[in-house]
Amino acid sequence: MAAPKVAFLLLNLISILPLLVSSFSPDRPTDRRILVVLDDLSLKSSHSLFFSSLKSRGFDLDFKLADDPAIAVKRYGQYMYDGLILLSPSTERFGGSLDVEGVLDFVDSGHDLIVSADANASDLIRNIAAECGVDFDEDPSAVIVDHSSYAVSETEGDHTLIAADDFIQSDVILGNKKIEATVLFKGIGHSLNPANSMVLKALSASPSSYSTNPSSKLSSQPPSLYGTAISLVSVVQARNAARIMISGSLDMFSNRLFRAGVQKSGSLNKYEKSGNEQFITELSKWIFHERGHLKAVNLRHNKVGESEEPSMYRINDDLEFSVEIFEWSGSSWVPHVSKDVQVQFYMMSPYVLKTLSTNGKGLYHTSFKVPDVYGVFQFKVEYQKLGYTSLSLSKQIPVRPFKHNEYERFITTAFPYYGASFSMMAGFFIFSGVYLYNK
Amino acid sequence: MGRSATTKDAHALFHSLRSAYAATPNNLKIIDLYILFAVATAVIQVAYMAIVGSFPFNSFLSGVLSCVGTAVLAVSLRIQVNKDNKEFKDLPPERAFADFVLCNLVLHLVIINFLG
Repeated sequence: MAAPKVAFLLLNLISILPLLVSSFSPDRPTDRRILVVLDDLSLKSSHSLFFSSLKSRGFDLDFKLADDPAIAVKRYGQYMYDGLILLSPSTERFGGSLDVEGVLDFVDSGHDLIVSADANASDLIRNIAAECGVDFDEDPSAVIVDHSSYAVSETEGDHTLIAADDFIQSDVILGNKKIEATVLFKGIGHSLNPANSMVLKALSASPSSYSTNPSSKLSSQPPSLYGTAISLVSVVQARNAARIMISGSLDMFSNRLFRAGVQKSGSLNKYEKSGNEQFITELSKWIFHERGHLKAVNLRHNKVGESEEPSMYRINDDLEFSVEIFEWSGSSWVPHVSKDVQVQFYMMSPYVLKTLSTNGKGLYHTSFKVPDVYGVFQFKVEYQKLGYTSLSLSKQIPVRPFKHNEYERFITTAFPYYGASFSMMAGFFIFSGVYLYNK
Repeated sequence: MGRSATTKDAHALFHSLRSAYAATPNNLKIIDLYILFAVATAVIQVAYMAIVGSFPFNSFLSGVLSCVGTAVLAVSLRIQVNKDNKEFKDLPPERAFADFVLCNLVLHLVIINFLG
């Protein structure tokens, strides 16, 4: 009696299971599962601060060793996780069904990725990074060395633990609280692929840094990576809103560096706690869409004075346009307030370009006059701001010229012609009279 | 020397034309005045269009054509009524005037329609 009931219930639960695990979709964005691939289980404890900050924000972390044969992000065509963190820089091959193709497929379907390399990074990690638009130094034994921007310590080290504070200027990506302390970094550097327009440097190296093997003598050729071209941490925002973070240092995520004090060489500022925890936490918030994910709904237009959307406008009509833009705050959609959203009235080129004014609650509106050109136009909103998902909306609307009875009855510029025609008629009458009654 | 001869010739030509014109009958002179009025109005309209542009082009055409049509009809009346013209010797001037009036009626009907 109970068994069929239980079976029925289980069947129902299983049927809604696919709905629970999906990529960040604007409709169901909470409580997401993340797969964390480690090459050493001790990372669970040595990086526990990072993991606990993720757990406290509501993420379900699934830890797996890199060569675990049960690793899979996709089963029967459904993705089982919403995010992937690869903290396995020295793994040559993942166990299970995950490989470079699998990781890229995961990202292409809109999911987020954090991947960290380190000294002696494997080809697998380098390939994944290269596909994301980031090129690590080809020399496998090279690390970043900086002789004028390193972290001061009691022992005179080889300056591979560097203090970096060249952050990307973006409140969306790094939070609106400024990161005061410098960030400690120890690992390899990468350069951005110049052909890629979506990758950004979140943390750049100082102009005095370069990539080399610290234990061997410097070769006569200059190092291939040097100066501010080196990026220590990069982020990518793909066109499908998937976000990727690529870091060259696994130690940057560790508890040791989170808690360490830092003093940059050549600077008098000594910080009790490095900026690593704030930097990594804020960046992970951005990566997992807790900031900067926009959605635009309700694109409406109507003639001034009417409330219905017409199917066609006439030239020189007055119209109103409005759109609502919301940002995901981590728990709900809040209105996004910004002064630079613009709408174009576009046909091959924008005839009207207006900045929308907002009412503070996410509604952006403006009104303008339809231009004196007829054709098929589009209302276009293209919003691309650093750190925010890009909005690209358009709605087509035809515009017709005046009907023949929509002109004014008597055109003022034609009055001389009216006058001339009537004067000719009057002249004809007068002439006939004069001609006939002339003796 | 040559210039003064040309001007003297011009003067002589002008005087002979004036005296010949003075000899035309009065009714023809009235028609000539009417033609002058029509052509002047046409020129004014063309100058106006050159300044302002041809926006209601139909109105412009209507105005100019009313002037030109009037002038043409007046010219044909003058030809038919002129007693020195041997071709229309047998045409009664009343008939010519009646044709003139009818054609003008048609012209002005068309003009009013096209004026817009």
